[in-house]
Amino acid sequence: MKAYKKYLWCVLVLWQSTALSVEFDSSITATSQWAIDTNKVDSQSLSLRIVPEMNIDFENDWQLKSKVRLRAEVIDGMQINDLDRDGFSDYSKPVQLNDGVEFELRELYLQGGIGNTFLTLGKQQIVWGKADGLKVLDIVNPQSFREFILDDFDSSRIPLWTMNIERTVADWDLQFLWIPDQSYHALPKQDATYAFTSPELVPTAPEGMGVNIEHAKRPNNIILDSDVGLRAATFWKGWDITFNYLYQYNNLAVLRQNLSMESGKPAVTITPEYERTHVIGGTFSNAFSDWVVRGEVGYFTDHYFIRKNSLQKQGVVKSPELHYVLGLDWNAPWDILVSGQLIQSWVINDADKTTRDKLDTTLTGLVRRNFMYDTLVAEVLLIANTNNGDGIIRPKISYEWQDNFKTWVGADVFYGDKEGVFGQFDRNDRVVIGVELSF
Amino acid sequence: MKTRQKMKVLMMILLPVIVSNVISAELPSGDSIAKNINARNEGIAVSRNLTMQMTDRHGKERVRETRVFRKYFGDEKRTAIFYLKPKNIKDTGFLTYDYADKETDDDQWLYLPAMRKVRRISASDRGDYFLGTDLSYEDIKLETRVSLKDYTRKTIGEDVVDGVHCYVVEETPINNDIAEELGHSRRESCVDDTIWMTRRSKFWDLQNKPLKTTHFKNISEVQGIWTVHTINVENHKTGHHTVFTFSDVNYNDGVKDNVFTQNALKRGL
Repeated sequence: MKAYKKYLWCVLVLWQSTALSVEFDSSITATSQWAIDTNKVDSQSLSLRIVPEMNIDFENDWQLKSKVRLRAEVIDGMQINDLDRDGFSDYSKPVQLNDGVEFELRELYLQGGIGNTFLTLGKQQIVWGKADGLKVLDIVNPQSFREFILDDFDSSRIPLWTMNIERTVADWDLQFLWIPDQSYHALPKQDATYAFTSPELVPTAPEGMGVNIEHAKRPNNIILDSDVGLRAATFWKGWDITFNYLYQYNNLAVLRQNLSMESGKPAVTITPEYERTHVIGGTFSNAFSDWVVRGEVGYFTDHYFIRKNSLQKQGVVKSPELHYVLGLDWNAPWDILVSGQLIQSWVINDADKTTRDKLDTTLTGLVRRNFMYDTLVAEVLLIANTNNGDGIIRPKISYEWQDNFKTWVGADVFYGDKEGVFGQFDRNDRVVIGVELSF
Repeated sequence: MKTRQKMKVLMMILLPVIVSNVISAELPSGDSIAKNINARNEGIAVSRNLTMQMTDRHGKERVRETRVFRKYFGDEKRTAIFYLKPKNIKDTGFLTYDYADKETDDDQWLYLPAMRKVRRISASDRGDYFLGTDLSYEDIKLETRVSLKDYTRKTIGEDVVDGVHCYVVEETPINNDIAEELGHSRRESCVDDTIWMTRRSKFWDLQNKPLKTTHFKNISEVQGIWTVHTINVENHKTGHHTVFTFSDVNYNDGVKDNVFTQNALKRGL
């Protein structure tokens, strides 16, 4: 309830400040989606989201923007408390109003310029990178994996309290980020619909041993444990180029394993712990006739992977990781967009000791066409991991009946080895039907 | 046949040819008209509100409210469009750099708020319809100017549109590739010869069937610059039409350079 009072206070301040404003703008978006599990022929989830937004424009070109989200799961299946909340800081944790309803402050920031410097201060999302569907440099904000990667990134990204300063110097746009908010990825609980089971993501207990999972050891110094980011962007001879640097705690906790005794029997105790990494990277894009080429690369100095032998070195392997994306978009005839991406990740050291391959390759393909003056959109997205032979196929058709009324129908079809990152959800195939209304 | 009769027949044959040559000699060439259009003062920079009212053949109506900025940086023209309403498209932004060099493709970016990313888009999309309207990306970029490099032109007559005399210029894309990029095989424009502004354009599709008609209306001077306030576009193939209405047009106050950046697209207005 403490956090709830904080939100209430924020909203009151917001309303109070409207008295000083020159322009006030508000809207509400209500979204409902029903997911039907095609294997069980039963509801996987029926969710309702209500997102009010309020923006205030002040006389001096400064703006205060705010967005909250009320989310409800209204039938059996996926539930609000499916998510482990250890990843959230106290300042960003959604408030669970009851078993089926949660309330979350999604945005609250002040934005404006002082001379040539532009400030965005408050809870916000920072999006880096050029990749679609998967992430390499889009890691400034952590993500909720409540629905794995099926939810829109805008909705699953966890906004952070951030000081975002941007300044243009000659031909360069410079960005400095200071993020004191220690929130990390939010993962599903062990018994949740989209709980991770792939050995690449979670350790497997030796046969016959029990498992204890402790609460995560979290960084707690608001200054010393804050994240810092820098980005320099320029437009050079037709190329959009950025150089990125981030000093952050990995959004995914390191799962350290230790042997212990439980009622006289050996057990594995898993202690999630957050560790620092430097991230050095960059992005590029350019257009050539019908083609757009884009890419991004990130080098992570300290990533932790799950060790094959969980009893050695606390069951982890520490190694740098090189992760990159090369994407090609083709504007094909009949207004069809065809897009493909090659995404590869290299474990630099001791890859043979980890539960994954040294080189992991994922391919994505997207075909999209807009019809009827952009009111009808049909698309199919394929994400395929070539190492495990698993992936997901996501066809979707959406139609805008009115500007404020949209419906869609789609499917999320997983396939492949259950030890793969996608194949682990092979039994979660679903058809979705959704409706969105805004005012 | 007597000599006098022969002369009469000859005159009947030659007279139309002679008259038509005399008329065409009096008409300015298509290229000179195009140059006059592009020489018209547009101001260095302009800001204005643009409302797009789109109606399909069943009468379903959608309305977008935007703020549009345009500025010349030497010979390079930059245009930025920020969507303000309705909610489903609010904060979408479009930015284009149009280079004077014929060999250099334009650079274009689109910001989609759902992705929170500025996406590079191919300039070869220029014949596609711009975000659900009946104007193409190319039309949006050029506004009231014309592309000198994409068409061959000839003046084929005179007409009157909205009570104003104009020359009728036939424009044909220079080759099939350009025609496919632009999405039409022919255009016929009525150009007001007093202010060198197009009053009406008719387009034919790649099969040479009527495609759309663009009608430029409510043309008046704003701060000494001739300005279109309404563009009515009717698509003959789909029955869809779009009315573009410009208001709050301002050439005098200038536009900051940083409006035409990817950062500005992301931040919105």
